[in-house]
This record gives sequence, C-alpha cells and structure tokens, in this order.
Amino acid sequence: MALITPFQEAAALVREAGGLELDQCYQCGLCTGSCPWNLVREFPVRKLIHQAQLGVIDFEAEYTWLCTTCRSCVQCCPRGVDIIDIMKAMRRVVAETGVSKVPDSLWLAVSNIAGSGNPLGQPAGQRGDWATPPTKKAKTDSGILYFPCCIPAYEPRLKKVAQATARILEAAGVDYKILPEVENCCGESVRKSGHENLFQSLAQKNMQAFSNAGINKIIVNSPHCYDTFKKEYTELGAEFKVIHIVQYLSQLIDEGKLKFSTEVKKKVTYHDSCYLARHNGIYDEPRHVLESIPGIEIVEMPDIKENTLCCGGGGGRIWMDTKKNERFSDLRLQQAKNVNAEVLALSCPYCMLNFEDSLIDFQGAVSMEIKDIVELVCEGIA
Amino acid sequence: MSFEPKIIAFLCNWCSYAGADLAGVSRSKCSPNVMSIRLMCSGGLEPAFVLKAFKEGADGVLVCGCNLGDCHYVDGNYKTLMRMTLLKKLVKQLGIEEERVRLQWVCASCAEDFVQAVNTITNDVKALGPYTQIKIEAEAETSRI
Amino acid sequence: MDDDIKIGVYVCHCGHNIADVIDVEDVAQRARKSGNVSVSRDYVYMCSSKGQNLIKQDIMQLGINRVVVAACSPRLYEQTFQNVLRESGLNPYLLQIANVREQCAWVHEAGLQATEKANRLVHGAIRRVSHHSPVEEQSVPVFPATLVIGGGIAGIQAALEIANSRHVVYLVEREPSIGGHMAQFDKTFPTLDCSACILTPKMNEVSRNPYIRLMTYSEVTDVSGYVGNFAVKVKRKARYIDEDKCVGCGICQEKCPWSTASEFDAGLGMRKAVYTPFPQAIPNIPVIDRERCVYFLKGKCRACEKVCEAQAINFEQEDMYIDLQVGSIIVATGFDVFDPTPIVQYGYGRLPNVFTSLEFERLCSPSGPTGGQLKLVSGRTPESVAIIHCVGSRDKNYNAYCSRVCCMHSLKYSHLFKEKTGGEVYQLYIDMRCAGKAYEEFYERVQGEHVHFIRGKLASIAAGVTDAEEDNLILTCEDTLLGNLINISVDMVVLCVALEPRHDTEQLSHILRLGRSHDGFFLERHPKLDPVATMSEGIFVVGCCQGPKDIPDTVAQASAASARALAMISKGKMEMGAITASVDEVVCSGCKVCNALCPYSAIFFDEISNVSRVNQVLCKGCNVCGAACPSGAISTRNFSTIQILAEIEGVLA
Repeated sequence: MALITPFQEAAALVREAGGLELDQCYQCGLCTGSCPWNLVREFPVRKLIHQAQLGVIDFEAEYTWLCTTCRSCVQCCPRGVDIIDIMKAMRRVVAETGVSKVPDSLWLAVSNIAGSGNPLGQPAGQRGDWATPPTKKAKTDSGILYFPCCIPAYEPRLKKVAQATARILEAAGVDYKILPEVENCCGESVRKSGHENLFQSLAQKNMQAFSNAGINKIIVNSPHCYDTFKKEYTELGAEFKVIHIVQYLSQLIDEGKLKFSTEVKKKVTYHDSCYLARHNGIYDEPRHVLESIPGIEIVEMPDIKENTLCCGGGGGRIWMDTKKNERFSDLRLQQAKNVNAEVLALSCPYCMLNFEDSLIDFQGAVSMEIKDIVELVCEGIA
Repeated sequence: MSFEPKIIAFLCNWCSYAGADLAGVSRSKCSPNVMSIRLMCSGGLEPAFVLKAFKEGADGVLVCGCNLGDCHYVDGNYKTLMRMTLLKKLVKQLGIEEERVRLQWVCASCAEDFVQAVNTITNDVKALGPYTQIKIEAEAETSRI
Repeated sequence: MDDDIKIGVYVCHCGHNIADVIDVEDVAQRARKSGNVSVSRDYVYMCSSKGQNLIKQDIMQLGINRVVVAACSPRLYEQTFQNVLRESGLNPYLLQIANVREQCAWVHEAGLQATEKANRLVHGAIRRVSHHSPVEEQSVPVFPATLVIGGGIAGIQAALEIANSRHVVYLVEREPSIGGHMAQFDKTFPTLDCSACILTPKMNEVSRNPYIRLMTYSEVTDVSGYVGNFAVKVKRKARYIDEDKCVGCGICQEKCPWSTASEFDAGLGMRKAVYTPFPQAIPNIPVIDRERCVYFLKGKCRACEKVCEAQAINFEQEDMYIDLQVGSIIVATGFDVFDPTPIVQYGYGRLPNVFTSLEFERLCSPSGPTGGQLKLVSGRTPESVAIIHCVGSRDKNYNAYCSRVCCMHSLKYSHLFKEKTGGEVYQLYIDMRCAGKAYEEFYERVQGEHVHFIRGKLASIAAGVTDAEEDNLILTCEDTLLGNLINISVDMVVLCVALEPRHDTEQLSHILRLGRSHDGFFLERHPKLDPVATMSEGIFVVGCCQGPKDIPDTVAQASAASARALAMISKGKMEMGAITASVDEVVCSGCKVCNALCPYSAIFFDEISNVSRVNQVLCKGCNVCGAACPSGAISTRNFSTIQILAEIEGVLA
C-alpha cells in the first residue's frame, strides 16, 4: 500500500486559489455518484477532494482537467461545497505554479485568446465577418449590444446561428449594435481552466469597451458568456444587464413583437445546457419559445431542466480531446433518438460543437438535425 | 424420533428469571426442552418439588438462583447451595443420575449463563436417555440383593 | 376439582412476536380441553385495551373466576393484568401468567417443539391457578426523603429538582467536593459554554438549599429495607478538619509543605496533602489526605494546625457512620476514564506529549496546571495535534460499546487547539457520530476551521527522528477513504479514551442489589420505556453510571428520576406485593427451625401458644422458611407448596 504524508503547503495553495470550501466536505461521495463522467469512465471526485484536503494531490493526473463544471455535484452536495471552485483552484495551482503541465490543446486555446481575443486563433479583425452584408456595426446610439460569443463569430456552422440571431432581432425591430472591433472572448473557459490573470485582463478590456460604447444591456447566444457576464463581471463591478437570446425571444413573443408566419413541422426535443438550466435556472423560456413556433411538437428526454445531462463541453473541456467512447453527447443523442426526435434543439454554442461532432459517428440517427433555437425561430418567421 | 427430554427449571424471581427473560430479549436461542417455574427465591425451593418433578415424568431438573452474595433475600441462595448438595446425594440414592439435577447461578444480566445451563443439562440428559421410574425400582432391587 | 372454578385462558399473539413462533390457536384450543377451563381465546395484543376488555367481559358475563394469560414475562405485564382482574371485581391474585414470549417464542425456532412447550407452560398455569385464592394487598408508607449517590452534574441536578419541591435530599459524594467530571472540563460542546460557568452556580445552589443535606468525602456502605423505607448507612470519612470551625481561608493549603499529584488535574498538576480539589469546591472545606500527610505517615509536622486561626484542624477526628432513612434512592455515580496504557502501540505513559482526553481538558482549562495554555512537556507551544477517536471504545479488546461523547468532544478539542495555537489538527476517526441538537452543525463549523479528518483507526505512534529541534510523534494509520497508508507527524496526541463503569460498580451493585448490563454499567428496568428505573423498586439510575452519555442527556435523566421519586413521595404510599409467608398454627410443631433461617428476622416464636408466627410487614415472601419447615406448616401466599406442585404436574402432564 502506498504511503502518503500530508503536505499542508499544497492544501494551502488550493485553498488560496479559491478552494476555500474544501474542508467542509465530509466525504460522502455523492459528488462521484452524481458526476456524469462516471457514466463513461472513472472520475473519483470525492477522492480528489480528500487528497486536496491533505495536500497529497497528483497534479499530473488527467483528473485535474476532467471536470466539465456541469454543476451536477454542487447541486446535490449535502454540505453545499462548491466543488467547481475546488476543481478550478487545483487547475489554477497548476497554471500558476507550473507544478504540472496544462494539456496542449487547452494551452493552445488559452494562448489564442491571449493573442487574438478568441480561442480559435482567428484574426481579431475578422470577428465581425459573420455579419455579411455588414449589418449594423455600431451605427446606432443603442445601448443594446449583441455579443455572439467567439464561436458563432468565427466557426462556419455556428456563424449561421449568429446570422439567424441578427435576422430575428432585425425582424422584431430591435435597435442593437455589435462591437467586433473592440470585444474579446468573455474568458469563461479561461477562468475555469485556472488562468485567472488572463481572465481578469479580458474582463477589464471588455468592461472598458462596453462602457465606452455606452452599453447597458447585452444579448448573448452562449450560456457561458451569460453566466460569466452576469455573475463574474458583476462581481468585478460591471453594471450592464445580461440577457440570453432565449429569454429575449420569449419576451419578444409575449410582447407580440415577433410574429411567426411559417409552420415548422418537426418533432423537437430540447437539450438544456448546464449553464442555462443548472447554473441559472433558465429552462421554461426556451420551451416557451419552441411552443410558440407553429407546427413544432415538443418531446422531452429523460434528463431535463436542472437534471440535464452535460454535453461535455464546459470547464474548458471543449478545447480538450475527449475519447470517442467517453463523450456524454453520444449518450444524449441516444436519449434524443429514443424519444424519436427529428430535431435536437440547443441554446449553447459548445453544445452545438459537441453534438455536431457526435452526430458524425452516431449510428442510426443520421436523419436527426441539430439546431439552435434561434435557427428554428428564424425558420418560423421566414 | 430422537429423544426429547422434559426438564423443569426452577428460577428465582429476581436474578435467574430475569436472566432467562433477558435471554429472550437478546433473542439468544436455547433448547426448548426446559420449562421454567418461577419461585420467589431459590431458597424457597422445597426438595419435594424436585422429587415431584421426577415423579411426574421429568427427565431432569435445573435449579437457578442469584450469584452467591447477590441474593435479593440476603442469603437465600446459600441455603439453596446447602440443600442442593444434600438433595443431589438423595437423588443418587434414589437411583437418579446426578447429572439430571443441576444447580446454576444466573444473574439478572447473565442471559448467556442461563442459555448455557439450559443447553448443558439438555445435552447431559439426552446422553443419559429418558428417566424411568422402573429404573429406580430395578436399582432398588439390585441394591437390596 | 372444584366445580365452582371457572378458568379463562387468554393467549396473546404479541403481534408477530409470539404468533410467528408458536401456533397460538393450537395453544388456545388445547387449553379449552383442560378441566375447569370455561373459555379460551387468542388475541393479537392481550395487553391492549381491547385485549383487556375481552378478559373483563368474560369475567362479568361468563363468571370467570380464575385467569391464565399466556403472553410476555410476568415481570412486564403481571401488574397490568392484575388490574384487569381488580377492575372486574376479582382478586388480582387469581391470575397466573404463562411466559410464552421471553422464555419460549423468543428463545426458540418456530415449530412444533416451541408450541409443545407453550402448551405445557399454559397447562401448568391452568393447574396452578385452580389452587389460587384471594390475597389481600398491603401498602407501605413512603418516607419522604431521597438519597442521591454521587455529586456530579447528574446528582446535583437530581438533588436540586427534589429539594426545590421542598423535600429532603441526602446528597452523598465520595470526593471532598461535588462537581464530578463536569467540573474538570474546560468548555462544553456544541455551544462552547465554559463548563465551570454553568456548573458552579448549580453547585452553589446545592450548598444553599436548606433541603439538601450534603455529605462529601462520604460513601454509602450499606442499604437495607425496601422501596418507601430504605435504611442507608453512610460512612463519613474523617476530614481532620472541623467543618463548623473552618472558614475556608485556604491558609492550611498554602502552608502545607507536602505535595502530591492532583487527581482533579488528572495527575498533571500538584496539590497539597491538605487540599480542596479545586478553587470553586463545594463545600469550600479542605480535607487532610491521610495517605499523604506527613504527620500521619511519620508523626511530625502539623504545620497546618499552627497556621489555622480558626483552630479547625483536628487530627483526632475519626470516620463516622450515619444512618439515614429514605423512601427512594437515585444512583448517579458517573464513570471512570479508560487507562490507555495497555495499548502499548499508542505509547501513553512512554512517549511524552501523548495525553488522554481528560488530561487535555485540564490543559485547556484556565484553572488547570498550565493556566489554560497548551504546552508540550518541553514548554513549547505545539504546532500540530492528532486527536484519536475510539481509544478503548468500539474495540472488543477493551470495550465493545461506543462511548458516545468522544466524537463531539474531539471536535471541541479541535476548535480549542485552533483557538489557542492556530496549529494543524488531525482527527483520526472511524465514524463521525454527531447525533444531537446542533451537533452536526458544530461538526460542520469545526470542519470549516480547516481541521483534517482522516478516516482510519490509529495503528501506532512512534517517536520521530530527533532533529536539531524537538522530538515529534509519527502516527501511522490507513486513510480508508484513499486506501493509502498515511504517516502524520505531530507535536501532540490526544487519546479520546472510553467512558467506563466506575471501578467499584460491582461493589455498589451488591450494596444496592442492582443488575448490570454486559458492558458493566447499571441495568435499567427497560431500555426504552423505563430507562431510569431499575429492577429494584425505588432505586433509580441516572447519567453515566447507566451508560455513556453527554451532559444534556444526563441532566434530562436526572430530572426524570427526580420526578419519579417525587411521584412516590406525593402519593405517600407504595402498594406492596402481598406475597408473604404464614404459619398454620394447627400444624406447626414449634420446632423453631424457621426462626433462625429468616433473613429479616420476621419469624418470632409465641411461647404461650408454642408456635412460630410471621410478622407480615417484615416478611418479603422468599419461602426459605417454607422450604425448611419439617411439618409443612408454612406457606407463602401465591407461591404455596400446593400451587407449585400443581404447576409441576400441569407442565409435565
């Protein structure tokens, strides 16, 4: 049996890096039991926490980088321990002290963000290219900003989502602006992967840019941007309001500003993203929007709302490789297939990337479409 | 069918009856051949009770009292001890094997002692076989010759 | 047999308890065939009011005049069923109980043999009850004073409860002061109240209350009599100090040149040969320790005598025996702590800086040997401590039971250590047991103070390799949550030792005629429904002498027992079992054999009639006389020769 000796200095590092609630854990193991990783592979969350308590952490282990920050464990932890904070803190220790190596692919994404403001490493100057023909590049005096998230801004599949969003906003007569020249990645995955300093600098830059442009309300596509702006930027002193596009659409529909004209005859199931449903309790609005689109029949999968099954993309995992048979998104697709859905509706760019990826190899459901809610809305107003 | 002896146990109210009850409360298992009769004190056991039991067909008799020094009635069990010593001699003379009569101290919390005593006397008596009065007469006959 | 005898037989299922093992219907049916049995029934719960009504109705409507109940032990419900008879106009002694639960269903497997035995027991009871005749009950007055043995928090609480209702309490304490273990504690969990601050007001109340007769430095040496009227002998050990003259100035202690280890400080501090155990002692009157006083040992000194202005020192004092009369007795003798020396791998007594929990309490206490400063033997402040749970508890090699308070006091120690030193705290536990109001919350609070919890039982402690600095202690155990062996280096170790029965529990159990459970603690009458009473009527057990428990539970028990004692006093009398012996004067030959046998001297010889007679108040019904009477002239009510013989016949028929 391997002999260990408590190393309080290491435990102190984790605590200082934000893992303050470490000691509240009484080792019941509910976190391990509720973690989606254990559906596909071993991830001993409870054990990692105990190792952190004693300072006997194996920073080099793959475990350090597994957590998707889906919040399943935090939601049910009987001691109320914010386990995400502990995972974040352990990564931060690695990133800041160099006791081990940050995984290459993650490191690349982080470097890209540091260099060009987006994780894909695309030129900053092309951030607004999705908006062709150039729509409303900061021409109005509006205080409303549409912040599409880096992926819809650059990634070919997701660009369609950004474009659909813009089309809907225009159809509803919303006076908004975009700021591709000055905006940067919100820094969500940067912070979750332990790069605190970079996050702080991104946040300051963004807050300054938004403030200079007189922004008081931001519409976002990504639940990750939503969570970061709403909670973390606010903690840093931001005063703008944040609204996720599904919330905004729900409002526009209720106010009668968005009228549907085309039937979308599809059987649709909605996948709650962790950051909307579990982190922020937003799960009625997307369903309301889908219900409002004429022709859509909604079917529900087993794991919904705050008990949703993570796609596997949070916590920086979207930039890391996940082995083929260890992808939660595969399990989720199977759930969607089991309820005979024709369309898997999403509201998160990360989910979109993961599900599109899963669909390529997914056996027997080639007919299933993966769409963002805004795309379905767009079809309905065409 | 195997021989299932009938054994009478005389228990004093304060220690041994309570000890036997505790065996039940603790769900200890013991042989069902022993049937107890409650007395206030083992010192109140009339020797005639033991003989009566054999006369009525018992195969053995167990007498239980408080531990020496613990008698609810100060020293009743010392009297039991003396009487039982004499009684054992008497039953022997009557041709009843000594092992058929057993004295055991059982305190109120000594459920295991009681269970053990019950099982021991049951096994002893089973080994001896049924007690028959014919045997007494036969042995009495032998001793006369 | 008598044609007028009409027996009712009632077989109880006791839910599943009896019915699952014994064929109760068969028992009821076969009873019906016995002579004189007029009615035989089985019912799910005979002791329920519905069950009781069955019997009542039969008595009223069918004219049943003898009752056999086949149910649980007569030690439990005989009185209940006696009341049923009483309420139906029958004499309560026309009842016989066949114990088919404790002594049949619960000790046997289900089946024919168990049913056969039950049938025999019931048949014995049927034969016996035919010979029952009415017996008149007696009652005894209850003497309105109470004895409380032990002056810890349990005894103090009990004494105050009773005294506050203006009844006399004798509070007997072995040590020179009341206060018990609670006086030794620093803080109490989970509220962290200062123990002395909440205890001393109660101690003072004891000394002020005019209804409490406080006897410290005293021991109960003999108890006779019975409920309502116990005769108690108390030995008041010589203090060698005149309590009436002593003003408690303390000069004798100051000037006494002889010191010894202080029991109150768990041996960590010193006291004088003349001493009060601690400054807030009640009474504030010192004692001279005969074993340590040089005058007693060598015949010289008497320094205290010279300095005592009140002239209270009296070397001529002798032990005194005092006789008390009380109606009930509350036993509150507390616990001893386990001596961990036999667990050699823990190094207690061998390795410096390995302490017991009680020693740690004294080290933390502002009135303790270090003035409340945590210090290692070297005088340095420790930077780390390991607190070891279950030392001598939950361990079949020592005590199989859980001592119940250790998890909580070890959490308290963690807090105190953090507060006093800011150092690292390791808890080595098997299970955390924090059941109690606000206990789990306290656990969570202490966790938040960065205490390290390691699930695993300590295997060994070794002295660390000596650096230039100081020896440390290296602990080895398995961290069962990681599956790794773990080595922890600390400055100090606290062994949370088991709470054990007092070393002289056995002796006291003989004096009081109390039963003890397997663990050695006093046995309560019923573990759930009668937790403070004992099998000895009028004697109650409270606090840790009945089993390990914390202060709130102890205080609750003490109050409960006081209520029981007060209820007896308020009623004024106790109904006594009517089981006594009597002499048939026609048969008695006047041989006097019985006279000397009676342990209560209840038999006297009437010289005029030339027969022996039994004093009915003194007689307790043991039948020792009856068993010895050569003429068969003595019979004990309800346990008569003819009744027992009938039972034998019935069981074996």
